[in-house]
Amino acid sequence: MPLHHHDSDQQTTAHVALVIFQVAQYWVALEARYVLAMTDQPQGLLKANAQTLLHADAPPHEQLPPDRWLTLNNRQRNDLTSTWQLGVNGDITLRQLPVTTMHPLPPLLQARRFTPALCGVAFDQHQLVLLLDARKLSP
Amino acid sequence: MSAEYSRDNQANDPPLATQTLEEALTTHSDTETEVDVDEPTQQLVLFRLNGQRFALPGRAVSEILPSDQPIYYVPGLPASTEGVLHLRGKIESVISLHQLLGLASPEGTANGMILLVNGAGLRSGVRIEQLDDVCNVTQSMLQPPPETLSSTLRPYVSALWQIDEGQALALLDPETLFGAYQQGLG
Repeated sequence: MPLHHHDSDQQTTAHVALVIFQVAQYWVALEARYVLAMTDQPQGLLKANAQTLLHADAPPHEQLPPDRWLTLNNRQRNDLTSTWQLGVNGDITLRQLPVTTMHPLPPLLQARRFTPALCGVAFDQHQLVLLLDARKLSP
Repeated sequence: MSAEYSRDNQANDPPLATQTLEEALTTHSDTETEVDVDEPTQQLVLFRLNGQRFALPGRAVSEILPSDQPIYYVPGLPASTEGVLHLRGKIESVISLHQLLGLASPEGTANGMILLVNGAGLRSGVRIEQLDDVCNVTQSMLQPPPETLSSTLRPYVSALWQIDEGQALALLDPETLFGAYQQGLG
């Protein structure tokens, strides 16, 4: 992830712009520069529910249909004009998190993850945020 | 005061088995449990999984964390992965070895301690159900795993310690454990 360095102390001010949303009971983030747009309705044919992609199983009463759609590049097609939409439910926020709060996924978990896009975790105010590599997500 | 030992009061007692002083001292000496200080010893962390006794080499265990250490569940991982813990600014994985060792998983919420274990060039928290001891044992007390050891356990057991007639303890090899876990077993 690219870092936005400020003029002063690099170590304490480097941040990453993230689009943060909730998937089931988990907080999830995508790097903001890979999110092209956000809509209330799906606009294309290619779409996927974030809950399914993340294998974030939730009890039936907690499974909510997507009500927001994030537009991402479709990297699988080697065509940067091709896009798809990731469906999420609930509020979506744009946040700058300090790099000091972000950690790569530990090696044992990296070896066993079901979703290659799951690349790390961050702690934001004692809350775990799952970091996804948008380039490895596909519908 | 007579210097002669009186036997009058023992006249009606049944005859006693006699021992020499040397024999008596030998019988009650600790020679059997004495440790040869020159013999190499190994530190072991003794613990239980599903009621069975296991150990890990002390050199591979960098920390023992209390049961109330917060664990953050991460979705999209096998059931043997509990999640991650945040320890002094670093993230460590927490896994369960039950499935890898062919043991039934404990029911309910995991509530045992966590061993921070190094092996196969990486580090991870390992959930245990009960910490028994941290002790030094001589190398001669550790025996090669017997042929009768189950095929599920065999790849991960480097030695067996026969604690007494009824109890044996399996010394686990962190290298093969983590290597296998990384390759998708357990």
